[in-house]
Amino acid sequence: MALWVDKHRPRDLSKLDYHKVQADQLKNLCKEGDFPHLMFYGPSGAGKKTRIMCLLRELYGGGVERLRNETMTFTTPSNRKVEIMTVSSNYHMEVNPSDAGIYDRVVVVDLIKQVAQTHQIDTAGQREFKVIVLSEVDELTKDAQHALRRTMEKYVATCRIILSVNSTSRVIPAIRSRCLGIRVAAPTEEEIVSILQFTCKKESLHIPEGLAQRIAQQCDRNLRRAILMLEACKVQQYPFTINQEITELDWQMYLRETANQIMLEQTPAKLEKIRERLYELLSQGVPPDMIFKGLVQNLVLNCDMELKAKTLQFAASYEHRMHNGSKHIFHLEAFVAQFMNIYKKYLADMVMDDF
Amino acid sequence: MDQYPTEEEEFELQYQEEMDMMDDYPDVNEVNIEPTPAPSKRFNSTQHSQKTQKSILQSPSISQIFPSSPASSIEDEGGPVNRRLFGTPGTSSGPKRFASTPFYGKSSKINRIEEVLEDVEEIEEIPENGALDELMRIGTNKNKRKLDELFGDSPKKTYDRDLVYGDDTYVDREAKKAKQEEERDLDLIEKIMEARKKTKEGKNPGMQDHVDKLNALHDFKMRNLSYTIPNYPFLPIVRSDDERLYVRFHSEEYEKKHIDDIRISEKGFSGLLGDQKEQIWTTAREITVKRMTAMENSSSDDVVEIPSAGLASSKGDLWVDRYKPKKYYDLLSDEATNRTLLYWLKMWDKVVFGKDFKKPQTAYQKQQQNLNTFNKKTGRFESTGGWKNRKSRLNLNTETDEHGRPIQKVALLSGPPGLGKTTLAHTIARHAGYQIRELNASDDRNPDSFKMALENGTQMTSVLDSEKRPNCIILDEIDGAPHQSIDFLLRFISDTAVTKPSKKGAKEQASILKRPIICICNDLYTPALRQLRQIAFVVNFPPIESPKLGERLLEIASKEGLQTDLMALMALAEKSGNDVRSCISMMQFFNATKNKLLLTDVLNGNFGTKDRNQGLFDVWGAIFQIKRPQKRLETNNNEEAQVVLGNMSTATRMNNVLAVVHAGGDYDRLMQGVYENFLRQKMPDPNLTGVVEACHWFCFSDILNQQINHLQNYSLYPYLQFPFVVWHLLFASLAWPKINFPHQGFEFNQKTTTTKMVFQAFRKGISSGVIGAGQGAGLLTETVPFLKRILSPSLRSVSVQLLTPREKYDLNHTVEIMADFGLIYNQLKKPDGMYEYTLEPDINLMCKFDGYPGINLAYFSKQLISKEIESVVLRRMAPKASGPLRPLTNNNSKKTAPANHLQTLKPRINEKSKGKELEKRVSKDFFGRRIAGTSSTSHSEGSSNTGWAKNPTVGGIIGKSPIWYRYKEGFNNAVRKDVFMKDLL
Repeated sequence: MALWVDKHRPRDLSKLDYHKVQADQLKNLCKEGDFPHLMFYGPSGAGKKTRIMCLLRELYGGGVERLRNETMTFTTPSNRKVEIMTVSSNYHMEVNPSDAGIYDRVVVVDLIKQVAQTHQIDTAGQREFKVIVLSEVDELTKDAQHALRRTMEKYVATCRIILSVNSTSRVIPAIRSRCLGIRVAAPTEEEIVSILQFTCKKESLHIPEGLAQRIAQQCDRNLRRAILMLEACKVQQYPFTINQEITELDWQMYLRETANQIMLEQTPAKLEKIRERLYELLSQGVPPDMIFKGLVQNLVLNCDMELKAKTLQFAASYEHRMHNGSKHIFHLEAFVAQFMNIYKKYLADMVMDDF
Repeated sequence: MDQYPTEEEEFELQYQEEMDMMDDYPDVNEVNIEPTPAPSKRFNSTQHSQKTQKSILQSPSISQIFPSSPASSIEDEGGPVNRRLFGTPGTSSGPKRFASTPFYGKSSKINRIEEVLEDVEEIEEIPENGALDELMRIGTNKNKRKLDELFGDSPKKTYDRDLVYGDDTYVDREAKKAKQEEERDLDLIEKIMEARKKTKEGKNPGMQDHVDKLNALHDFKMRNLSYTIPNYPFLPIVRSDDERLYVRFHSEEYEKKHIDDIRISEKGFSGLLGDQKEQIWTTAREITVKRMTAMENSSSDDVVEIPSAGLASSKGDLWVDRYKPKKYYDLLSDEATNRTLLYWLKMWDKVVFGKDFKKPQTAYQKQQQNLNTFNKKTGRFESTGGWKNRKSRLNLNTETDEHGRPIQKVALLSGPPGLGKTTLAHTIARHAGYQIRELNASDDRNPDSFKMALENGTQMTSVLDSEKRPNCIILDEIDGAPHQSIDFLLRFISDTAVTKPSKKGAKEQASILKRPIICICNDLYTPALRQLRQIAFVVNFPPIESPKLGERLLEIASKEGLQTDLMALMALAEKSGNDVRSCISMMQFFNATKNKLLLTDVLNGNFGTKDRNQGLFDVWGAIFQIKRPQKRLETNNNEEAQVVLGNMSTATRMNNVLAVVHAGGDYDRLMQGVYENFLRQKMPDPNLTGVVEACHWFCFSDILNQQINHLQNYSLYPYLQFPFVVWHLLFASLAWPKINFPHQGFEFNQKTTTTKMVFQAFRKGISSGVIGAGQGAGLLTETVPFLKRILSPSLRSVSVQLLTPREKYDLNHTVEIMADFGLIYNQLKKPDGMYEYTLEPDINLMCKFDGYPGINLAYFSKQLISKEIESVVLRRMAPKASGPLRPLTNNNSKKTAPANHLQTLKPRINEKSKGKELEKRVSKDFFGRRIAGTSSTSHSEGSSNTGWAKNPTVGGIIGKSPIWYRYKEGFNNAVRKDVFMKDLL
């Protein structure tokens, strides 16, 4: 596990770098021997998975870290084969059901039920329940989430489900109420800086304070991103200098460029160009809501308050619609067109005001 | 005489551009067919001077031919004829003659000629036999042969060619000179003969020698008509009894001469052609007129009618059948299409009708070639070339394969119903002299019966049919045929040997496809036809122009006594989408009801509209274009219906668009098309308000779609049409819209799929311990881009040993990460011979944007890394194999057990019984008896027993020895006995 993100990942609840109080609480939770279903929620790169793994280790000991990859195949009602990758140890199983796309319900029904139904044979010296870790549950379709509901209640004797969620808003209330929510907030910049310095110390590198701070600022309080950035910086240039170029994400730069183009020109022809860029982003697998977010963030930079409010309002409504639809490009473009429209009006008003 | 219509058809078909030429041809044909003797025999006795001869006969051609180089004279279309006609000396005689020329002295030769001329004068008075004798006397022996040839039945074709040989071989100047003299000599001789013959004719003009006449006629026919494909330029004609004839094609000069000739003879004596010809002409005209009227009345007794139509003469038959085109002339469909198809069918002539398989060209092409050469000489057939060029524009491959078949062995006609595809195929096949075998949707078309039909059709001829015409297979409605049948057809076409692997090699010859196959389909893009489409000669049927159709309908109407006008019929044609069949049916319907068809009836909306499938582009066109107002029938309550022009109100437009979109179906693709085109349309609004509006509706229809697909709630489906109305109202203009086929969406899907595949592969390769890299979107959007940077360390191009510690660390780091993620470098050979390392799975393909670098490493670095990865992967494999057995160690412990084969056998000491064991240990011999004297030390010599393995000392020895084994089960102490080499020797 040579990637620094993995190499220096804390493996024990006591070794976590931040949210220490919460870590203690989790420890206590395990001491009780039993706990309800858990839902870890927090932004990407905040350390949800790290905490889950620490918790499991606390529960079952080191055995949970001996993981194996398995690929499971399911047959959908329409006779399609769906492959799902699972990572499991003797004590737990980790699945990302949203990998199955629109067939996630099948995964939930078949796989999770199947695992949850079976009892542990040898309960001596072990917990009498297994743990299923479901990641990206908020990406699940409503159907799948509903399918999960009853499973969670029915098999609570044999299995605990730990959900890892980015945003609870997309998890149906029924599931939310069945879980103990554990919020994993993104680390603060100071925390990130200290972690970066700690990492460097372990790698026996020297990092100037300034660089660490710059990385912390650029990483969106995403610790994974911060450490990856650090590693990329190390590969690019070492010894570190304060003003060293920090590698950015390609798609973010691309998105920023797109936003700039929108600001530059508001014509149908331009809109068509923008559409191509949006297509490009989507086809590279950038999630559409991230595109929305990135666009809005970059677009509102040069707007006054009124326009900002309007932009955000439109963005919200279009994003909402996007989640109801299936062709993301329509909604993204509709938003861009709408922004062009109001921005152009705004510019015209400005010119009018000058006279 | 019978040939008249057929011939005209033929001409019309092939040389429509040369219609003016055609006017001349009937004369020639008349001459050909008339029982007239060769014109050369009818002369005034007085006109035997050289000059007259020149003007009368082919002698100009002769003089033209001989002085000119023989090579060119061969090309001269008239040359061979004349030479043959006048019996140019044979081949065999050529060289001999040259050899003999030197014997003639120059002066003596001239004398001779004069002498001969004098003789000719004399001959006039000499009786026939005497003349012949004289000639024999004058000429050499060869002249006799010449005479035979002149009146012989089969003129030898090889003359001209041999003449060339003669010339080529005799380059010698003297010989040439001699030859020239010889030629002059021959020339003279021929003239003499002509003169003599003329004299003979002139003597008794009235009662000509009948044998002579017949001979000449036969001769002429032999020269000008042929049942097989001749090697002169020809014109194929189908006689009334469906025999194919090839009529010779003559140059204009030749023809003119013939005409002159006839005229002269008419002037000379009124006997032969005068009133007879007149009579013939009148009869011909009568017959033609009768034909024409017969055709117009379309009575069933037409000559080229298919037998099945025979029962269609009753009054109650369908008009559609009654006015079915029966001749090529009558076809309504696009002329170019008709001709291309016929051309294709003609290309089969070589295989089907021709007998000579050695020649690389089809007869038709040869004819084409001849025409072109002819064209050079006369400058008359210029448009021929143009026609040919135009042909090649259609995707007809005029090449033929080694059997003389066209490369495209199947013609595939496609087009909407009612355009006359089937009719065209039938008419043309019949026209080209084929027996039609049709296989359509009503027949059983499973692969077996399909196979049967194909094989029967191509390899057999019908026995019962007296005509014995070759078959032409027409596969109608092939788009409905099962996939397997079409597969079989494909195999049948491409290589018939495949279909009959069981048959012997001897049979192979028979299994070659030798008959044309015409397939007809409505939808060219049926998946089953995909492969056929690639190899077939595809003829797309353009719609019939409505004026043309209207005219034809009017014609029918007038014949049937239906009162109507052209306007109404045109409207009818338009309404039915130029479907001939439905138009005629409709007319018959009206005829039956009230004998009147008015414009109002046509516009009355209740009938005649066909729910036809419009192309996507038509629908898009309708969306982006404001339709011009159309005639419409408006009925106010109680008032009489009147025809008014439709307005361009929103309501009308909305209805139009809705109708079109509804007919078009496939809203998804339509929407994508609109989506990718609407930004290119004219947009007057500067603030993009319209675009925003349009986008709203795109979102709306997307959400609607999602709902429909997700919940299977098809009650929402009708609402999907309405966005199109909005888009139409927003973006439509009167101008013709430029619409491109939507491809962005498709490309996007493709790209997304590719990225997904790579990502899947990438994720599968990641080892289970890598948790920090994230999952799903996080992995893709955060880890992958950084990974690309992290995996591009800067390494110098030196060997591993020379790297600095830091570089070594970097290398190791990179390699470890790549091993974690299951990435490897694959060496690939590029097309230009260079080697290249590519990542597998290629993460460069993920999160790739133009202008942003992926992994950029030098070739050498990649090589280095690739080697290192291999060793790392191997190293990792080892502990994994024994992983589950090992006691739990610290997770990231680097302590690895040595590979199995490196392990040595280590004695395990049972702690409990250790002491006892030592005591109890007794040495036993082979049969288990106790050996008293042996002690543990003796074992150090090597005579060990398995039992001793537990002994630590013995174990040490074994452990040290390079030979090891693992004890599994059973007794092997019997086996393990040391044997020395000396014992064996």
